[in-house]
Amino acid sequence: MERPNILNFMENTKELILVYQEMRRIDTMPSKAINIMLTPQFYTLIREELPVKYAYQAKRIAASLFDGLLEDAQNHHYFVIKEEDSWLFIAYNPEMIRSFLESKGIDVETISKIYFAEQSLSSFVSPVLLGDTDALVNLNGTMTVVPQTLLDADKRTMQIHKSLTPKNGVSFEARGNALLGTNDTYTLAAILILFASIYVIEASRYGNGSAIQEEEMRVILEDYPALESSYTRKSILSKYRKIDKEERTKRNVIKSLSSMIFKGATLTRLSINDTKFQATFECSNAKVSKRLKALAKKENFVAVGLKNSNNLNIEGQL
Amino acid sequence: MNSIKAYKNELIVAVAFLLLLMAFFYKQGLVATQNVASSDASNSLNELKETIALKKVWANKQTTKKVDKLRSLVSPSSVKWKRTGKKLTASFSNLSPIELNRVVVKVMNLAVSIQKLDVIKSGTSYTMELKCKW
Repeated sequence: MERPNILNFMENTKELILVYQEMRRIDTMPSKAINIMLTPQFYTLIREELPVKYAYQAKRIAASLFDGLLEDAQNHHYFVIKEEDSWLFIAYNPEMIRSFLESKGIDVETISKIYFAEQSLSSFVSPVLLGDTDALVNLNGTMTVVPQTLLDADKRTMQIHKSLTPKNGVSFEARGNALLGTNDTYTLAAILILFASIYVIEASRYGNGSAIQEEEMRVILEDYPALESSYTRKSILSKYRKIDKEERTKRNVIKSLSSMIFKGATLTRLSINDTKFQATFECSNAKVSKRLKALAKKENFVAVGLKNSNNLNIEGQL
Repeated sequence: MNSIKAYKNELIVAVAFLLLLMAFFYKQGLVATQNVASSDASNSLNELKETIALKKVWANKQTTKKVDKLRSLVSPSSVKWKRTGKKLTASFSNLSPIELNRVVVKVMNLAVSIQKLDVIKSGTSYTMELKCKW
Protein backbone atom coordinates (compact mmCIF):
# COMPACT_ATOMS: atom_id res chain seq x y z
CA MET A 1 0.00 0.00 0.00
CA GLU A 2 1.33 3.39 -0.98
CA ARG A 3 2.22 5.51 2.00
CA PRO A 4 1.39 9.19 1.59
CA ASN A 5 4.39 11.41 2.13
CA ILE A 6 2.69 14.06 4.24
CA LEU A 7 5.78 16.06 5.14
CA ASN A 8 7.13 16.37 1.63
CA PHE A 9 6.06 19.92 0.85
CA MET A 10 8.28 20.03 -2.24
CA GLU A 11 6.35 17.29 -3.97
CA ASN A 12 4.58 18.47 -7.10
CA THR A 13 0.88 18.04 -6.41
CA LYS A 14 -0.39 19.43 -9.71
CA GLU A 15 -2.11 17.15 -12.16
CA LEU A 16 0.12 15.98 -15.02
CA ILE A 17 -1.50 15.72 -18.46
CA LEU A 18 0.23 13.96 -21.35
CA VAL A 19 -0.11 15.93 -24.57
CA TYR A 20 0.03 14.13 -27.91
CA GLN A 21 -1.13 14.86 -31.44
CA GLU A 22 -4.17 12.59 -31.52
CA MET A 23 -5.47 13.54 -28.10
CA ARG A 24 -9.15 14.33 -27.74
CA ARG A 25 -10.39 17.83 -27.03
CA ILE A 26 -10.77 18.50 -23.31
CA ASP A 27 -14.13 20.07 -22.62
CA THR A 28 -13.89 20.48 -18.86
CA MET A 29 -10.55 21.88 -17.78
CA PRO A 30 -9.59 21.56 -14.12
CA SER A 31 -9.91 24.86 -12.29
CA LYS A 32 -6.53 24.37 -10.61
CA ALA A 33 -3.18 24.82 -12.31
CA ILE A 34 -1.88 21.79 -14.19
CA ASN A 35 1.40 20.53 -15.59
CA ILE A 36 1.74 19.05 -19.04
CA MET A 37 4.16 16.52 -20.45
CA LEU A 38 4.89 16.66 -24.17
CA THR A 39 5.48 13.60 -26.31
CA PRO A 40 8.34 13.66 -28.86
CA GLN A 41 5.78 14.82 -31.46
CA PHE A 42 6.32 18.35 -30.09
CA TYR A 43 10.06 18.53 -29.72
CA THR A 44 13.36 17.56 -31.27
CA LEU A 45 16.17 16.29 -29.12
CA ILE A 46 19.91 15.79 -29.29
CA ARG A 47 22.17 14.06 -26.77
CA GLU A 48 25.70 15.32 -26.86
CA GLU A 49 28.80 14.91 -24.74
CA LEU A 50 30.19 18.37 -24.34
CA PRO A 51 33.09 19.72 -22.30
CA VAL A 52 30.92 22.32 -20.56
CA LYS A 53 30.19 22.52 -16.88
CA TYR A 54 27.10 24.66 -16.54
CA ALA A 55 23.65 24.59 -18.15
CA TYR A 56 23.82 28.23 -19.22
CA GLN A 57 26.99 27.46 -21.18
CA ALA A 58 25.30 24.51 -22.85
CA LYS A 59 22.23 26.60 -23.61
CA ARG A 60 24.38 29.13 -25.45
CA ILE A 61 25.46 26.55 -28.01
CA ALA A 62 22.05 24.83 -28.24
CA ALA A 63 20.96 26.77 -31.34
CA SER A 64 24.11 25.82 -33.26
CA LEU A 65 23.59 22.13 -32.43
CA PHE A 66 20.18 22.17 -34.07
CA ASP A 67 21.46 24.10 -37.08
CA GLY A 68 19.82 22.63 -40.20
CA LEU A 69 17.57 20.27 -38.20
CA LEU A 70 14.73 22.69 -37.57
CA GLU A 71 12.55 24.28 -40.22
CA ASP A 72 11.76 27.49 -38.38
CA ALA A 73 14.68 27.67 -35.95
CA GLN A 74 14.03 31.27 -34.99
CA ASN A 75 10.69 30.27 -33.39
CA HIS A 76 12.25 27.54 -31.27
CA HIS A 77 13.29 27.68 -27.70
CA TYR A 78 15.80 25.36 -26.12
CA PHE A 79 15.73 23.34 -22.94
CA VAL A 80 19.00 21.87 -21.69
CA ILE A 81 19.53 19.38 -18.90
CA LYS A 82 22.58 17.51 -17.68
CA GLU A 83 22.43 13.74 -17.75
CA GLU A 84 25.02 11.36 -16.39
CA ASP A 85 27.64 11.63 -19.14
CA SER A 86 26.01 13.91 -21.65
CA TRP A 87 23.78 16.92 -22.13
CA LEU A 88 20.20 16.59 -23.31
CA PHE A 89 19.17 19.38 -25.69
CA ILE A 90 15.49 19.79 -26.50
CA ALA A 91 14.21 22.25 -29.10
CA TYR A 92 10.53 23.16 -28.97
CA ASN A 93 8.27 25.73 -30.54
CA PRO A 94 6.20 27.39 -27.79
CA GLU A 95 3.82 29.11 -30.19
CA MET A 96 3.05 25.90 -32.03
CA ILE A 97 2.50 24.10 -28.70
CA ARG A 98 0.33 26.95 -27.45
CA SER A 99 -1.85 26.84 -30.60
CA PHE A 100 -2.18 23.09 -30.33
CA LEU A 101 -3.18 23.21 -26.67
CA GLU A 102 -5.74 25.93 -27.35
CA SER A 103 -7.16 23.85 -30.21
CA LYS A 104 -7.61 21.02 -27.69
CA GLY A 105 -9.46 23.26 -25.24
CA ILE A 106 -6.59 23.61 -22.79
CA ASP A 107 -6.31 27.10 -21.38
CA VAL A 108 -2.58 27.83 -21.45
CA GLU A 109 -2.96 30.22 -18.54
CA THR A 110 -3.72 27.27 -16.28
CA ILE A 111 -0.49 25.52 -17.27
CA SER A 112 2.10 25.80 -14.60
CA LYS A 113 5.00 23.88 -16.16
CA ILE A 114 5.73 22.09 -19.38
CA TYR A 115 7.80 18.91 -19.21
CA PHE A 116 9.17 16.66 -21.90
CA ALA A 117 8.63 12.89 -21.88
CA GLU A 118 12.38 12.42 -22.39
CA GLN A 119 13.00 13.86 -18.92
CA SER A 120 11.20 10.93 -17.28
CA LEU A 121 12.86 8.33 -19.47
CA SER A 122 13.64 5.91 -16.65
CA SER A 123 10.08 6.10 -15.30
CA PHE A 124 8.55 4.81 -18.52
CA VAL A 125 8.95 1.12 -17.75
CA SER A 126 5.93 0.21 -19.90
CA PRO A 127 4.34 1.77 -22.98
CA VAL A 128 1.76 4.52 -22.56
CA LEU A 129 -1.12 4.33 -24.98
CA LEU A 130 -1.75 7.53 -26.95
CA GLY A 131 -5.36 7.23 -28.13
CA ASP A 132 -6.29 4.29 -30.32
CA THR A 133 -3.34 4.06 -32.68
CA ASP A 134 -0.09 5.18 -31.10
CA ALA A 135 1.93 4.48 -27.99
CA LEU A 136 4.77 6.21 -26.19
CA VAL A 137 7.62 3.85 -25.45
CA ASN A 138 11.15 3.97 -24.20
CA LEU A 139 12.93 2.72 -27.29
CA ASN A 140 16.67 2.11 -26.79
CA GLY A 141 16.92 4.94 -24.30
CA THR A 142 14.81 7.49 -26.20
CA MET A 143 11.13 8.20 -25.78
CA THR A 144 9.48 7.42 -29.09
CA VAL A 145 5.94 7.38 -30.47
CA VAL A 146 5.25 4.10 -32.23
CA PRO A 147 2.09 2.52 -33.67
CA GLN A 148 0.33 0.33 -31.15
CA THR A 149 0.49 -2.50 -33.67
CA LEU A 150 4.20 -2.82 -32.96
CA LEU A 151 3.61 -3.51 -29.28
CA ASP A 152 3.51 -7.03 -27.91
CA ALA A 153 -0.10 -8.02 -27.41
CA ASP A 154 0.51 -9.20 -23.86
CA LYS A 155 2.72 -6.24 -22.90
CA ARG A 156 1.31 -4.33 -19.96
CA THR A 157 0.77 -0.60 -20.41
CA MET A 158 1.02 2.18 -17.86
CA GLN A 159 -0.90 5.36 -17.15
CA ILE A 160 0.59 8.81 -16.82
CA HIS A 161 0.64 10.01 -13.20
CA LYS A 162 1.89 13.08 -11.41
CA SER A 163 4.62 10.98 -9.81
CA LEU A 164 6.27 11.07 -13.27
CA THR A 165 6.67 14.86 -12.99
CA PRO A 166 10.35 15.68 -13.52
CA LYS A 167 12.23 18.21 -11.42
CA ASN A 168 12.73 20.95 -14.00
CA GLY A 169 10.40 22.24 -16.64
CA VAL A 170 9.69 25.27 -18.76
CA SER A 171 6.85 27.77 -18.70
CA PHE A 172 4.97 29.67 -21.32
CA GLU A 173 6.05 33.24 -21.50
CA ALA A 174 3.31 35.79 -20.98
CA ARG A 175 1.69 36.82 -24.21
CA GLY A 176 -0.63 39.46 -25.54
CA ASN A 177 -0.92 42.50 -23.31
CA ALA A 178 1.99 41.44 -21.05
CA LEU A 179 4.63 44.14 -21.06
CA LEU A 180 7.62 42.13 -19.94
CA GLY A 181 9.29 38.97 -21.16
CA THR A 182 10.46 36.36 -18.67
CA ASN A 183 14.15 37.19 -19.07
CA ASP A 184 13.49 40.92 -18.76
CA THR A 185 11.37 40.26 -15.68
CA TYR A 186 14.02 38.28 -13.87
CA THR A 187 16.77 40.72 -14.85
CA LEU A 188 14.75 43.71 -13.71
CA ALA A 189 13.61 42.01 -10.51
CA ALA A 190 17.21 40.97 -9.76
CA ILE A 191 18.42 44.57 -10.24
CA LEU A 192 15.66 45.93 -8.01
CA ILE A 193 16.35 43.35 -5.30
CA LEU A 194 20.07 44.08 -5.56
CA PHE A 195 19.41 47.75 -4.91
CA ALA A 196 17.05 46.86 -2.08
CA SER A 197 19.81 44.72 -0.53
CA ILE A 198 22.29 47.58 -0.88
CA TYR A 199 19.87 49.88 0.96
CA VAL A 200 19.40 47.31 3.74
CA ILE A 201 23.17 46.77 4.09
CA GLU A 202 23.73 50.52 4.12
CA ALA A 203 21.01 50.91 6.73
CA SER A 204 22.64 48.29 8.95
CA ARG A 205 25.93 50.22 8.73
CA TYR A 206 24.16 53.38 9.87
CA GLY A 207 22.85 51.43 12.83
CA ASN A 208 26.32 51.56 14.44
CA GLY A 209 26.84 55.25 13.75
CA SER A 210 26.93 56.60 17.29
CA ALA A 211 28.38 53.46 18.93
CA ILE A 212 31.99 54.72 18.65
CA GLN A 213 31.11 58.06 20.24
CA GLU A 214 29.15 56.38 23.01
CA GLU A 215 32.08 54.07 23.74
CA GLU A 216 34.49 57.02 23.84
CA MET A 217 32.12 58.83 26.19
CA ARG A 218 31.92 55.78 28.45
CA VAL A 219 35.73 55.57 28.67
CA ILE A 220 36.04 59.28 29.55
CA LEU A 221 33.28 59.09 32.14
CA GLU A 222 35.09 56.24 33.86
CA ASP A 223 37.83 58.77 34.70
CA TYR A 224 35.39 61.59 35.48
CA PRO A 225 32.38 60.00 37.20
CA ALA A 226 31.35 63.39 38.63
CA LEU A 227 30.53 64.56 35.12
CA GLU A 228 28.13 61.74 34.40
CA SER A 229 25.10 63.93 34.86
CA SER A 230 24.41 66.18 31.90
CA TYR A 231 22.98 68.85 34.27
CA THR A 232 26.23 68.93 36.22
CA ARG A 233 28.21 69.12 32.98
CA LYS A 234 26.10 71.97 31.66
CA SER A 235 26.37 73.88 34.91
CA ILE A 236 30.16 73.51 35.10
CA LEU A 237 30.52 74.25 31.41
CA SER A 238 28.49 77.47 31.53
CA LYS A 239 30.50 78.67 34.57
CA TYR A 240 33.91 78.08 33.00
CA ARG A 241 32.85 79.15 29.50
CA LYS A 242 31.95 82.56 30.94
CA ILE A 243 35.25 82.86 32.80
CA ASP A 244 37.19 81.67 29.78
CA LYS A 245 35.51 84.17 27.46
CA GLU A 246 35.95 87.15 29.81
CA GLU A 247 39.56 86.39 30.66
CA ARG A 248 40.52 85.79 27.05
CA THR A 249 39.03 89.20 26.17
CA LYS A 250 41.04 90.91 28.94
CA ARG A 251 44.24 89.28 27.79
CA ASN A 252 43.57 90.15 24.16
CA VAL A 253 43.05 93.77 25.15
CA ILE A 254 46.38 93.81 27.05
CA LYS A 255 48.05 92.17 24.05
CA SER A 256 46.57 94.75 21.67
CA LEU A 257 47.59 97.65 23.89
CA SER A 258 51.11 96.23 24.18
CA SER A 259 51.38 96.18 20.39
CA MET A 260 50.58 99.92 20.39
CA ILE A 261 53.78 100.71 22.30
CA PHE A 262 56.39 101.76 19.77
CA LYS A 263 59.02 104.48 19.35
CA GLY A 264 57.40 107.75 20.35
CA ALA A 265 54.37 106.14 22.03
CA THR A 266 54.69 105.38 25.74
CA LEU A 267 52.07 103.82 27.98
CA THR A 268 51.68 106.03 31.04
CA ARG A 269 48.58 104.54 32.57
CA LEU A 270 46.56 101.34 32.23
CA SER A 271 43.49 100.33 34.12
CA ILE A 272 41.50 97.14 33.61
CA ASN A 273 38.61 95.76 35.62
CA ASP A 274 35.77 93.34 34.96
CA THR A 275 33.78 95.72 32.77
CA LYS A 276 36.09 98.18 31.02
CA PHE A 277 39.65 99.24 30.31
CA GLN A 278 41.40 102.56 29.88
CA ALA A 279 44.95 103.32 28.73
CA THR A 280 46.79 106.61 28.37
CA PHE A 281 49.56 106.94 25.84
CA GLU A 282 52.11 109.74 25.68
CA CYS A 283 52.91 110.54 22.06
CA SER A 284 56.04 112.40 21.01
CA ASN A 285 54.36 114.16 18.07
CA ALA A 286 51.13 114.43 16.08
CA LYS A 287 52.27 111.82 13.56
CA VAL A 288 52.71 109.20 16.31
CA SER A 289 49.37 110.21 17.79
CA LYS A 290 47.68 109.78 14.41
CA ARG A 291 49.25 106.37 13.90
CA LEU A 292 48.18 105.30 17.38
CA LYS A 293 44.63 106.47 16.69
CA ALA A 294 44.56 104.39 13.51
CA LEU A 295 45.78 101.32 15.42
CA ALA A 296 43.14 101.87 18.13
CA LYS A 297 40.43 102.21 15.50
CA LYS A 298 41.57 98.97 13.91
CA GLU A 299 41.06 97.23 17.25
CA ASN A 300 37.63 98.88 17.65
CA PHE A 301 38.83 100.88 20.66
CA VAL A 302 37.76 104.44 21.36
CA ALA A 303 40.72 106.86 21.11
CA VAL A 304 40.34 110.38 22.44
CA GLY A 305 43.06 113.04 22.18
CA LEU A 306 43.89 114.89 25.39
CA LYS A 307 43.69 118.69 25.36
CA ASN A 308 46.81 120.71 24.55
CA SER A 309 48.94 117.64 23.86
CA ASN A 310 49.46 114.77 21.46
CA ASN A 311 48.59 112.30 24.20
CA LEU A 312 45.76 109.80 23.67
CA ASN A 313 43.26 108.13 25.91
CA ILE A 314 42.23 104.73 24.62
CA GLU A 315 39.30 102.96 26.21
CA GLY A 316 36.67 100.36 25.66
CA GLN A 317 34.15 97.97 27.22
CA LEU A 318 34.89 94.38 28.05
CA MET B 1 -6.40 33.40 -11.12
CA ASN B 2 -5.82 33.36 -14.85
CA SER B 3 -5.49 37.13 -15.06
CA ILE B 4 -2.93 37.03 -12.24
CA LYS B 5 -0.96 34.44 -14.17
CA ALA B 6 -1.19 36.57 -17.33
CA TYR B 7 0.47 39.43 -15.49
CA LYS B 8 2.87 37.25 -13.51
CA ASN B 9 5.95 39.05 -14.83
CA GLU B 10 4.59 42.49 -14.05
CA LEU B 11 3.61 41.22 -10.62
CA ILE B 12 7.14 39.96 -9.94
CA VAL B 13 8.62 43.31 -10.97
CA ALA B 14 6.03 45.17 -8.89
CA VAL B 15 6.85 43.09 -5.80
CA ALA B 16 10.58 43.62 -6.37
CA PHE B 17 9.96 47.35 -6.78
CA LEU B 18 7.91 47.36 -3.60
CA LEU B 19 10.79 45.66 -1.79
CA LEU B 20 13.13 48.30 -3.16
CA LEU B 21 10.86 51.08 -1.92
CA MET B 22 10.53 49.47 1.51
CA ALA B 23 14.30 49.05 1.76
CA PHE B 24 14.82 52.65 0.66
CA PHE B 25 12.41 54.10 3.20
CA TYR B 26 13.76 51.77 5.89
CA LYS B 27 17.26 53.10 5.19
CA GLN B 28 16.07 56.72 5.06
CA GLY B 29 14.22 56.30 8.35
CA LEU B 30 17.23 54.73 9.99
CA VAL B 31 19.56 57.40 8.63
CA ALA B 32 17.32 60.17 9.97
CA THR B 33 17.08 58.52 13.40
CA GLN B 34 20.79 57.80 13.48
CA ASN B 35 21.67 61.33 12.42
CA VAL B 36 19.77 62.69 15.41
CA ALA B 37 21.28 60.07 17.76
CA SER B 38 24.74 60.59 16.31
CA SER B 39 24.43 64.36 16.57
CA ASP B 40 23.27 64.07 20.21
CA ALA B 41 26.11 61.69 21.05
CA SER B 42 28.61 63.95 19.30
CA ASN B 43 27.32 67.04 21.15
CA SER B 44 27.46 65.27 24.50
CA LEU B 45 30.99 64.07 23.81
CA ASN B 46 32.18 67.52 22.73
CA GLU B 47 30.47 69.06 25.75
CA LEU B 48 32.18 66.57 28.05
CA LYS B 49 35.59 67.14 26.47
CA GLU B 50 35.18 70.92 26.67
CA THR B 51 34.09 70.72 30.33
CA ILE B 52 37.14 68.64 31.22
CA ALA B 53 39.47 70.94 29.25
CA LEU B 54 38.08 74.14 30.79
CA LYS B 55 38.10 72.63 34.25
CA LYS B 56 41.74 71.64 33.82
CA VAL B 57 42.61 75.24 32.96
CA TRP B 58 40.42 77.28 35.32
CA ALA B 59 40.27 74.94 38.31
CA ASN B 60 43.88 73.83 38.24
CA LYS B 61 45.25 72.96 41.68
CA GLN B 62 48.71 74.13 40.61
CA THR B 63 47.53 77.72 40.01
CA THR B 64 48.22 78.84 43.62
CA LYS B 65 51.82 77.69 43.30
CA LYS B 66 52.18 79.46 39.98
CA VAL B 67 50.69 82.66 41.37
CA ASP B 68 53.16 82.61 44.27
CA LYS B 69 55.99 82.60 41.75
CA LEU B 70 54.96 86.13 40.74
CA ARG B 71 56.70 87.41 43.89
CA SER B 72 60.03 86.05 42.81
CA LEU B 73 60.00 87.95 39.53
CA VAL B 74 60.96 91.24 41.19
CA SER B 75 62.92 92.20 44.27
CA PRO B 76 60.98 91.58 47.50
CA SER B 77 61.20 95.27 48.47
CA SER B 78 59.12 96.20 45.43
CA VAL B 79 56.21 93.89 46.30
CA LYS B 80 53.36 94.14 48.75
CA TRP B 81 51.70 90.75 48.80
CA LYS B 82 48.42 89.67 50.30
CA ARG B 83 46.99 86.33 49.40
CA THR B 84 43.95 84.87 51.12
CA GLY B 85 43.03 81.41 49.88
CA LYS B 86 42.44 81.84 46.19
CA LYS B 87 42.41 85.62 46.15
CA LEU B 88 45.39 87.87 45.66
CA THR B 89 45.98 91.57 46.10
CA ALA B 90 49.50 92.57 45.07
CA SER B 91 51.17 95.89 44.65
CA PHE B 92 54.40 96.26 42.67
CA SER B 93 56.40 99.49 42.76
CA ASN B 94 59.56 100.84 41.15
CA LEU B 95 59.31 98.45 38.26
CA SER B 96 61.52 99.01 35.27
CA PRO B 97 59.77 98.65 31.88
CA ILE B 98 61.42 95.22 31.51
CA GLU B 99 60.24 94.08 34.96
CA LEU B 100 56.75 95.37 34.27
CA ASN B 101 56.67 93.50 30.99
CA ARG B 102 57.85 90.31 32.71
CA VAL B 103 55.17 90.54 35.41
CA VAL B 104 52.36 91.39 32.97
CA VAL B 105 53.29 88.53 30.65
CA LYS B 106 53.35 86.14 33.62
CA VAL B 107 49.95 87.35 34.83
CA MET B 108 48.50 86.94 31.34
CA ASN B 109 49.67 83.34 31.27
CA LEU B 110 48.14 82.51 34.64
CA ALA B 111 44.69 80.95 34.71
CA VAL B 112 43.33 83.58 37.08
CA SER B 113 40.42 85.93 36.83
CA ILE B 114 41.84 89.48 36.73
CA GLN B 115 39.55 91.68 38.75
CA LYS B 116 41.74 94.76 38.66
CA LEU B 117 44.99 95.63 36.92
CA ASP B 118 46.31 99.17 37.26
CA VAL B 119 49.62 100.32 35.82
CA ILE B 120 50.88 103.86 36.38
CA LYS B 121 54.10 105.38 35.09
CA SER B 122 55.85 107.74 37.44
CA GLY B 123 59.08 109.08 36.07
CA THR B 124 60.99 106.21 34.56
CA SER B 125 59.45 103.50 36.71
CA TYR B 126 56.08 101.89 36.96
CA THR B 127 53.79 100.86 39.73
CA MET B 128 51.31 98.07 39.27
CA GLU B 129 48.37 96.90 41.30
CA LEU B 130 46.85 93.50 40.74
CA LYS B 131 43.73 91.97 42.17
CA CYS B 132 42.81 88.52 41.02
CA LYS B 133 41.13 85.26 42.06
CA TRP B 134 41.12 81.69 40.79
